[in-house]
Amino acid sequence: MSTEPDRELERVPWAEWDRPRDRWLMAEHNCNTWPRSLLLEVCARIVFPTVLMVSVYLLFAGHHDAGGGFSGGLVAGLAFVLRYVAGGSAELAATVRIRPPVVIGSGLSIAVLTALVPALVGQPVLSSAIWKLSLPVLGELKFTTNLFLDIGVYLLIVGVVIDLLRTVGAGTELGGPGLDDETLEREEVERT
Amino acid sequence: MLTAIAAHFVLAAFLPLIARRWGRAAFVVGALAPAATLVFALSRASGALAERHPVETFAWAPNIGLEFTTRFDELALLMIVLVSGIGALVLCYYACYAKPGDRAVSRDSSLLVLFAGSMLGLVLADDVISLYIFWELTTVCSFLLVGGEGLTRKLRKSATQALLVTSLGGLAMLLGLLLLATAAGTTRISEIIANPPGGGVVTAAVLLILLGAFTKSAQVPFHPWLPGAMVAPTPVSAYLHAAAMVKAGVYLVARFAPGFSDLPAWWLPIVVLGLWTMVLGGFRALRQHDLKTLLAYGTISQLGFLMVLVGAGTWIAALADVTLVLAHGLFKSALFLTVGIIDKRTGTRDIRELSGLGARWPALTVFATLAVLSMAGFPPLLGFVGKEAAIEGLLHGEPKDLLLLAGVVLGSVFTVAYSLRFLVGAFGARPTVAPTEAPPSGTVMTTIVGIPAVAGLVLAFVPGLVEPLLAGYADAYSANPPDYHLGLWHGFKLPLLLSIAIIIAGYLLHRTALAPRLAGWVPGPLHAQRGYQASVDGLVALAQSVTGRLQAGSLPIYLGVILVTMVAVPGAGLLSGIETPVDLRAWDSLLQVPLAALVLVAAGTVVLARRRLTAVLLTGVVGYGIGALFIVDGGADLALAQFLVESLTLVVFVFVIRRFPPRFVDGRPYFPRARWVKAGLAAVAGTFVAVLAVLFSGSRQGMPEASRFYAENAESATGATNVVNAIIVDFRAFDTIGEIAVLAIAATGAASLILARARQRPSGGYVPEDAGSERTEVKQ
Amino acid sequence: MTVLVALPVLLPLLAAALSLIVMRSPRMQRLIGATVLTAIAVIAGALLAEADKHGPVVLQLGGYAAPFGITLVADRLAALLLLTSALVTLAVLIFSIGQRITDYGRQTASTAFHPMYLMLCTGVSLAYLTGDLFNLFVAFEIMLASSYVLITRRTTAERVRASMTYVIVSLTSSLLFITMIALVYAATGTVNLAALPEKIGELDPGVQTSLGLLMVVVFGIKAALVPLHFWLPDSYPTAPAPITAVFAGLLTKVGVYALIRTQTLVFIHDESWTVLLVVALLTMIVGVLGAIAQNDLNRMLSFLLVSHIGYMLFGLALFTVIGLAGVILYVVHHITVQAALFLTSGLITRHTGTVSLHAMSGVAKAYPLVAVLFALPALSLAGIPPFSGFVAKIALLQAGAAVGTPAAYAVTAAAVLTSLLTLFAVTKIWVGAFWGKVGEPHPDPDPTDEVTVGTGSTSKGMLVATGGLVAVSVLIAVFAGPLADMSERAAADLLDGGAYRTAVLGEAGGD
Repeated sequence: MSTEPDRELERVPWAEWDRPRDRWLMAEHNCNTWPRSLLLEVCARIVFPTVLMVSVYLLFAGHHDAGGGFSGGLVAGLAFVLRYVAGGSAELAATVRIRPPVVIGSGLSIAVLTALVPALVGQPVLSSAIWKLSLPVLGELKFTTNLFLDIGVYLLIVGVVIDLLRTVGAGTELGGPGLDDETLEREEVERT
Repeated sequence: MLTAIAAHFVLAAFLPLIARRWGRAAFVVGALAPAATLVFALSRASGALAERHPVETFAWAPNIGLEFTTRFDELALLMIVLVSGIGALVLCYYACYAKPGDRAVSRDSSLLVLFAGSMLGLVLADDVISLYIFWELTTVCSFLLVGGEGLTRKLRKSATQALLVTSLGGLAMLLGLLLLATAAGTTRISEIIANPPGGGVVTAAVLLILLGAFTKSAQVPFHPWLPGAMVAPTPVSAYLHAAAMVKAGVYLVARFAPGFSDLPAWWLPIVVLGLWTMVLGGFRALRQHDLKTLLAYGTISQLGFLMVLVGAGTWIAALADVTLVLAHGLFKSALFLTVGIIDKRTGTRDIRELSGLGARWPALTVFATLAVLSMAGFPPLLGFVGKEAAIEGLLHGEPKDLLLLAGVVLGSVFTVAYSLRFLVGAFGARPTVAPTEAPPSGTVMTTIVGIPAVAGLVLAFVPGLVEPLLAGYADAYSANPPDYHLGLWHGFKLPLLLSIAIIIAGYLLHRTALAPRLAGWVPGPLHAQRGYQASVDGLVALAQSVTGRLQAGSLPIYLGVILVTMVAVPGAGLLSGIETPVDLRAWDSLLQVPLAALVLVAAGTVVLARRRLTAVLLTGVVGYGIGALFIVDGGADLALAQFLVESLTLVVFVFVIRRFPPRFVDGRPYFPRARWVKAGLAAVAGTFVAVLAVLFSGSRQGMPEASRFYAENAESATGATNVVNAIIVDFRAFDTIGEIAVLAIAATGAASLILARARQRPSGGYVPEDAGSERTEVKQ
Repeated sequence: MTVLVALPVLLPLLAAALSLIVMRSPRMQRLIGATVLTAIAVIAGALLAEADKHGPVVLQLGGYAAPFGITLVADRLAALLLLTSALVTLAVLIFSIGQRITDYGRQTASTAFHPMYLMLCTGVSLAYLTGDLFNLFVAFEIMLASSYVLITRRTTAERVRASMTYVIVSLTSSLLFITMIALVYAATGTVNLAALPEKIGELDPGVQTSLGLLMVVVFGIKAALVPLHFWLPDSYPTAPAPITAVFAGLLTKVGVYALIRTQTLVFIHDESWTVLLVVALLTMIVGVLGAIAQNDLNRMLSFLLVSHIGYMLFGLALFTVIGLAGVILYVVHHITVQAALFLTSGLITRHTGTVSLHAMSGVAKAYPLVAVLFALPALSLAGIPPFSGFVAKIALLQAGAAVGTPAAYAVTAAAVLTSLLTLFAVTKIWVGAFWGKVGEPHPDPDPTDEVTVGTGSTSKGMLVATGGLVAVSVLIAVFAGPLADMSERAAADLLDGGAYRTAVLGEAGGD
């Protein structure tokens, strides 16, 4: 029986909700720091915005060419994966400040609202409408409401990927957040 | 009458509150229900005796046959006299018997009234399902009344045995009744009896119904529960196990007998088991020292007697039967209540310890003697009247009845003997024992004992009071009833001589105390109790062995069974007619061959991989290969999504795998044979699915109409020229919403697992060392 | 009006999304959850009334006619099961909220419980309402995925390992399900339930039979039929009491519902199906024997759950109106009663600190309210009159006796025997746990573990929720008449199939 105070019942500050408390996996390799490569990190930062633009393009182009919400979201997610592989969870935290469950929740809400809103105007649930807008410079713009569903899908997948990175990635790091040197030293002693 | 039943239940619901306020007086309040019912029933007695009996119906759920129907006829009225009359008496008695401030008062009072209501419903029921409903309710009430709070092991075991044995009978009875009702086309008992159906199913149904009757009325070999149930408080025993519940079996047989008395499957088990029970019960009663168990075995014997009479199937026998039902209810309840007084005042029920009570309590002794003489069939009591009628009935019946008569005579001898044993044992003076010190028996309690005892005396002299009732029941057996009337004196004929002979023989048997000396000679009776125990233990052992064998606790076995079932069952269905598709092409485009080969090889190699990273990467190869197949087939969107997802999952896998040991298992695997079995099973299942895919796609000709619709209407309905996208976000958008919900769940679930606090200490609550449950662990 | 059909699915989904967004505030999450589940119950009641009066309520999503778009159908059976499930999920939510407040206080670090629970409700509602086979798969996926999360949340390493059995077997069943859908589509070209019977009728008899059997196998894994049931007793007891209650009450019944729907709508049977009768018999007997062999309260209840699934299959296999009416009654009764029993088991475990029957005693004397809350559903499960279990059982037995074939008689006799053995098991629990001298509650080595917490205290919320469910089961018995009438109408609709097909295919548009 441990004598440490029961951490479960304390009020946990909001900023630390996602911080893993204990180690999640057994460790074979003792790796205290994230292996950083300057080249990879710089390239990742340069490429990052471009990849995001490609993902947005895929989102909008899905109606007429290959693409769509899924592909767009996955490409955006892979961009974040690249940043994470380059710099670890610190890098990831610098990229994303919003909590992933909020992103996931927003994406899902948008998708469900796309289904419900038509019912408010008397159409069957999940109907779609095609709007044609004429804009002064760009000309005629055809716009379908099921694009919102795609946007919801996009947001959700981005949120899912970042969530996985945060938990599966950061939670499996040794020397990452949530682990202190004392625990590491204790394990060193136990192993020898 | 339905309101009377309902009134019992309503009152039972309020009694706990009344008991909390007024203590023991709750019993008296409870007695109001059966007393009022008795008065009401007697005032309507003319209806019961009429040609057309009053019927009431309450529809609960008619289209599944749940209708409460009551029919107020002679048999019902007779049973109401017993059930409600004795019930009211017992409840008043209990008010004096219970200790003031006893917490069990609220439970017992409400349960007793509930029981009284259920018995009332049982005897009035005219359709098979209501009969079963009330039957089971009496079983449950009995369980709770006998068990009390279950503080000792004996209480628990006895209550459980009573419950299980009577439930076995009850459920068998339900099945039999339903089969009978289906065969007869109606659920109304009166109609079934009027036109009894025939056939093999009906024979089975009849046997099942008899099983119910035998368990309830404690016939051999189901009888041990009754002596066991004597651990209940005495008033409970007086009501349940003397007057009411055990009579239910006899009532059931009596109710159905007019329709089925000719059926050998009906009367043969009844008379055989009835005779055996009568003799056995009487013999066992002679060996008892505890007054209560003596009475219990006596009850068993009497019930056997009643069964024999109703199985005989003639008018006079039926008349005798109902007379004896009435007599037995009266004298047995009086005797049980007497034992209650003895127990409460002296603290013991053992006849070896009691002495000289007769002198101390003269009034009680007189009443008890009346009851005992009625039990022994001594004139001028109702028991004698009934016995005379019984002998008369058996003498002038069919030839088989003479055999029955012989058995009945033997049983009656035992009855006389144990009656004397009771009387002498309870009230006699024992030379070797000091006279028992006891305060006077309470006036109220003694009076209550006196009522049924004296009734037995009075009715013997004026049988005309009850004869129309009893004869009215017997009329169901034959159109021309013989000219016989109940009475004390029929002339100096054979029945009288036999009665005298029985009494003398019984007296001699008691005097010589022969029976107790035959210790160990009769193996039979003990075996019934051992038989019950063996069945219960055997059941639990069977359950444990079957479950232990089946619930292997091993995930590979479970998956294996699922795969085998998936292959075997539809595979068998396939054999019932299939034509092989004629135009089978090996491939559509040559590029598919190397890709398919790559996928298969990679999938096969995954199983052989030793290092974790290799296995993950090979799985990735399988995914990419399938993506490439999509491209070759022309599905660009699918391929794009497949590649992207594969990349993402590979990345996630690698994050996790890098922290594991590099190899799967160190050293050689333990069971190489098991691996081959698993691989073979998986291969068979996969091949089977592939075969099915080929066969099924060959069954359809042409493009499905849905695909045609999508291709034609994609642009106009959704504004998209990419049909795949149109399907995903418009035509079948609901699926998309569902699937992204699954993604959200997966991410949230992963987060919740990882962020959970790691447990260092084992948990699972307290498990005692000797818990014999089978341990299952998930073996990987 | 038809938008009501989509609301029981879309509302909890939206609520789950909102719960994810407001993960900071447990109070908001509780509020959202309770409001939405109450709303679903009300909507389900309205749908039932409408479906009973005017026939199936149909919504063609997106306005596309069947079989091109996805259809949501609320007929009597679906609406009735939806209503029952809504009541049970609401009760279990209140129980969970009560339990968490008792254990951790009002301001707790919120976890993913509410979003996942609402997703589970989404999946269950969608499963009942959908008229499309692939959509049914999606519903199963939502339901199963959220159940994976709920069963592995916040428990020890050993329990996570045990729940892996559940996860992997369910993943396998999902894999087989999607394979089956692919095969169905390959053979017939449609996945719309109303359009399938015609297309299937054109196939070879071998293909038809094997498709039908494949469907039985796939849904049988979910419904825990023998020999596909092994995962259930190993995994259900490892979850906290309210989670087990909702799993036992809902998830297996969705499998049973899918079986009923596919075998009456998609595959037409004229007479009783011997294969299913045999499976029903085996399930009844193996399940109840398993229950008798146990000494752990939750494992015993899990085996009883398996056994009583056999009753429902028995009624289905008869393919008569009374048989199907009995099945519907039994499903409604069993959802309520089994959930109530697991909740009561949770109450008992909290008071005594153990799940082993050997270690408990005297609960009736110490906590009489819990004893009553246990006794009523237990007697109902054992089929004792006049409770709901008896009502449903009588209908089934009468149906079995009416069919008259030797197989039907055998299974009817087995049903009666199972009833007796269930009574035996229930008595074992009663005598072991409730009777006897009052035992000492065992101190729990890990007070923050949600499964066995011997704190000795139960909050009002927990008692109210359990009492509510028990009251519903009593009401089922009291209103057996109208309920039986409605079940008979629903059963007639099922066997006939015409009303459903006309409602879905015969309509031109959505509203």
